[in-house]
Amino acid sequence: MGLHAYLTLAAVVFAIGLFGVLTRRNAVGILLGIELMLNAVNINLVAFGRFHADLGGALFTLFTIAITVAEVAVGLAIVIVIFRVRRTVEADHLDLLRG
Amino acid sequence: MSGLGPFALELGLGALLVAVFVAGLLARGDDRRPIAWLATLGVLALLAVALLLEPAGPALGGRFVQDGLALFVKRLFLTATFIGLLAGISLPERAFARRAAEYHVLVLASLLGMLVLASARDLIVLFVAFELMSIPLYVLAGFRKSEGEAVEASLKFFLVGSVSSAVMAYGLSFVYGAVGSTDLGAVARALDGDHPLLQLGLLLALVGFLFKVAAFPFHMWVPDTYEAGPTPFVAWLSVAPKAAGFVALFRVYFEGTGAHAAAWVPIAAALATVTMLTGNLMAIPQQNAKRLLAYSGIAQIGYMLVGVAAASASGTAMVLFYLVAYVFGNMGAFLVVEALARAEGSEAISAFRGLAQRSPLLALAMLLFLLSLGGIPFVAGFWAKLYVFWAAAEQGLYWLVLLGAILTVVALFYYLVVARKMYIEPPDRPGRVPLSPTLALSVLLCALGVVLLGLYPKPVVMAALRVAAPLF
Repeated sequence: MGLHAYLTLAAVVFAIGLFGVLTRRNAVGILLGIELMLNAVNINLVAFGRFHADLGGALFTLFTIAITVAEVAVGLAIVIVIFRVRRTVEADHLDLLRG
Repeated sequence: MSGLGPFALELGLGALLVAVFVAGLLARGDDRRPIAWLATLGVLALLAVALLLEPAGPALGGRFVQDGLALFVKRLFLTATFIGLLAGISLPERAFARRAAEYHVLVLASLLGMLVLASARDLIVLFVAFELMSIPLYVLAGFRKSEGEAVEASLKFFLVGSVSSAVMAYGLSFVYGAVGSTDLGAVARALDGDHPLLQLGLLLALVGFLFKVAAFPFHMWVPDTYEAGPTPFVAWLSVAPKAAGFVALFRVYFEGTGAHAAAWVPIAAALATVTMLTGNLMAIPQQNAKRLLAYSGIAQIGYMLVGVAAASASGTAMVLFYLVAYVFGNMGAFLVVEALARAEGSEAISAFRGLAQRSPLLALAMLLFLLSLGGIPFVAGFWAKLYVFWAAAEQGLYWLVLLGAILTVVALFYYLVVARKMYIEPPDRPGRVPLSPTLALSVLLCALGVVLLGLYPKPVVMAALRVAAPLF
């Protein structure tokens, strides 16, 4: 498979993730979408790294994976706290702040 | 390679972070204020070190630079953090006192991200530093975790923030793909080749930076997060990460790109226009002082984008000067709101009624901050606006300058509404507004900054011009 196949795969995964973020009403669903978007980044980086025969891409990927984990950990923690306080994680019901 | 010299600030801050963390583990009892003092004085010591440091050569094979620009903004970050932490020491909530170690570790971690970001000349370093700066902010926004508003604001901030950083990472992956190297110098050189993939990547990456500075389509999180967060944190959030966002913007889009920087002028000018319009017009109907300052802050970012749109050394320098003026003016205004909120239990603008009769000095300080944000002569904000508009006019962006000037007049309206409440309307209740010594000191520092920069802006302007010149 050439570089284009990987880039297309990454673009599709990214688009699915973005679609999930925009349409999901549940905060956990939105988190899953974000996760997909970041995985598309990893596919891109590894494919480009291989294409350029450069280790930088793989190295960058290791860092994005670690950062993604940190981000999701914080995100899930926030979701748990919000569920304790509000008894819901539906984005539509979170409307205390307006204006 | 000159050893660890270029990393002095980062290493010092890392050590301070560990010390605060360990102190938090060892501390007994409910009052953790000594930990807050440890963090605050540690940041003050680092600021003193930063003021003595000289720019050093690149380190890590050019991936990390301690140049004039990096040092200039690092001093600014440390100043802002010192004022923010100082104001937070006397936060009255008991939960806050008990969790002081968590709060300070998170603030210092985010500050560490900013310091590294200011020096990053490599895509990986840039992205890691950017996330190190951002992730603690999500937690801090929801620090009052038993309040529905705070956790809701935290979730919104987190969702918008991580989506925009995912888009930014996707953009950076294309930049890497087009250039074949993570070195920002190589990225700037690759611009000569007219690479569509590189342009796409840079455009996508712009999303992340615009979110961080809270420019127009990515500003929605600002009012909610500001309203619900602890005010001393919000005061700091409203200035330090924005300054970091601007520096990263300069590093990626301007440094070493030469004539190619001009390609961003139409986008920056359009963003400046909509950001100024949204911020100023949305600020007018606000009744909550923190929401008012949130929208006024968005407008201020719009004025800074006018300087970015100039895409010149003087434009960049004037954005840096604007950031300095903005740190003092904006933080000061938020801290006065905090003082009133502690006394009255209200963050509404009506809490300002008759403040001049109750606490004349506090009212005078607030007036100075409002005038600085509004851009009235002889306080810091006036020179900031004047120089930014000047830099844009030099590049022929007269329509942008005209719009900015008109919106400055509109902005005076909502700033003066607050001033009228303080000076003309009678107070709802008598008596001075009680003010804790640390909060008073931080307000005083902001007021001094605004007045001194207003009376004698030359040294800072010259320094900004000096550090911005090598970028182009």
